[in-house]
Amino acid sequence: MAHILKNYDDDLSALKDSVVEMGTQALAAMEKAIKGLSTNDVELCYDVIDEDERIDQQEKKIDEQGMSILLRFNPVASDLRHVLSSINICRSLERIGDHAVNIAKRARKILKAGELEEVRLIDPLVLEARKIVSGALTAFSDVDEQLAHKVIEMDRAVDKIHKALSKSLSNKISGGAQPTESLLNVIFISRSLERIGDLAVNIAEDIVFITSAEDIRHT
Amino acid sequence: MTETSVTTDPAAAPSVASNEPIIAIDDLSFSYDLGKTNTLRNISLEIPAGKVTAFIGPSGCGKSTLLRCLNRMNDLVDTAKVTTGRISILGQDINAPDVEAIELRKHVGMVFQKYNPFPKSIYENVAYGLRVQGIKNKGILDQAVEESLQKAALWGEVKDRLDSSALGLSGGQQQRLCIARTIAVKPRIVLMDEPCSALDPIATARIEELIAELQEDFTIVIVTHNMQQATRVSDRTAFFYLGELIEYDETQIIFGNPSIKQTEDYVSGRFG
Ligand SMILES: Nc1ncnc2c1ncn2[C@@H]1O[C@H](COP(=O)(O)OP(=O)(O)OP(=O)(O)O)[C@@H](O)[C@H]1O
Ligand SMILES: [Mg+2]
Repeated sequence: MAHILKNYDDDLSALKDSVVEMGTQALAAMEKAIKGLSTNDVELCYDVIDEDERIDQQEKKIDEQGMSILLRFNPVASDLRHVLSSINICRSLERIGDHAVNIAKRARKILKAGELEEVRLIDPLVLEARKIVSGALTAFSDVDEQLAHKVIEMDRAVDKIHKALSKSLSNKISGGAQPTESLLNVIFISRSLERIGDLAVNIAEDIVFITSAEDIRHT
Repeated sequence: MTETSVTTDPAAAPSVASNEPIIAIDDLSFSYDLGKTNTLRNISLEIPAGKVTAFIGPSGCGKSTLLRCLNRMNDLVDTAKVTTGRISILGQDINAPDVEAIELRKHVGMVFQKYNPFPKSIYENVAYGLRVQGIKNKGILDQAVEESLQKAALWGEVKDRLDSSALGLSGGQQQRLCIARTIAVKPRIVLMDEPCSALDPIATARIEELIAELQEDFTIVIVTHNMQQATRVSDRTAFFYLGELIEYDETQIIFGNPSIKQTEDYVSGRFG
């Protein structure tokens, strides 16, 4: 049912649109950084670093929108949870953006050091990270609690792949594989992807809070 | 009214354990037209002692009517009638034939939306209820007046002008005076019908603070249209719609995560 105050509805949906937009930006940044690495395109990596500013600005915008709604409409019940969670979610998205920048910076170093066969080892992890982030974003825009729970489940796969990958790369390094620095950078990228999975889980937990009023963090 | 039930001496009123309801409303229906139509329908709720309970709901849903049932103010309407159920206060059926409304109101005081001090001195306003009870001793009256004004957080502002007219006070002060007048007779329950709706934000904040303090000595039932006020002052909230009780729960739940969609729609401004 709509609110009696039309402005209230308009502002709530504008807030939601802003979060969805920020989600799209963060996911795109991650994709672009990975694409830069896999297609040997340093320019894409630079783009990600430059464009992070936009994600940060979007975070500020969401804060302002949320604050203004709290101030003017005193939201309660699910409206209040929606505003609080939107602000939380934009924190997670901002950090996903930061990880995309980390990936871009590592990728740039790897590319500068010359072609590295092991780069394609992260493909399965990239696939899972993409799935979990876009799952979290869809769960938010569709307010889909079931999907949010699935996202939380997906993180197991992300963790598992990351662990296996960093172990095998560490072994290669111990075995004398070269160049060490590039291999280390692949491990760092893998870790960023794993952290992105954790952030997607945070987003999913916020969505469960919106729909069920249950705080499932740290449970 | 029998000696064993609600007695004239408030101190001798039966006490209720703090987890027992001081007011128990059971399947209450109420009519203003001798039962042709029920303004309140099958309402059951238990109000705990020593807590603040808020009644909320859209205009005309029957909040004031229910509040007035609790001290039988509706007796003033000739055609008013309880059509089903009962209300027990301190274990006594308040509509039992032997219960006098005047007696009941000693235990169940009321503060109205439009503050209504008598056109008398500040002192006489507060002493009024005690004088009606036949108390003439100046020492006792002086003490009760000071104590009540202290409790109503008004003493400091009026102690040097107790003999001047109550009508010379500001609106917020007049409302606190009415609260002092109500609590002077030491009721167990104080009913408040939109006590702040005619006050500015500062006077409102004062009354809200006062409610929190009074809670130690009295059970308070407050009708309010101000949702933020209900969240701030009350422990439990009852939401009414069209004469029915829709949901009654802890205030945190009613405004945080109500169980019934109608409640959520109303508290979040989605009504109509
Ligand atoms: N003395 C009366 N005689 C007949 N009908 C009455 C009387 N007082 C109230 N009513 C009717 O009973 C219904 C409930 O009124 P009540 O005053 O209890 O509502 P309320 O919830 O307190 O509304 P508000 O928020 O506007 O104060 C309304 O339809 C009203 O018109
Ligand atoms: Mg009313």
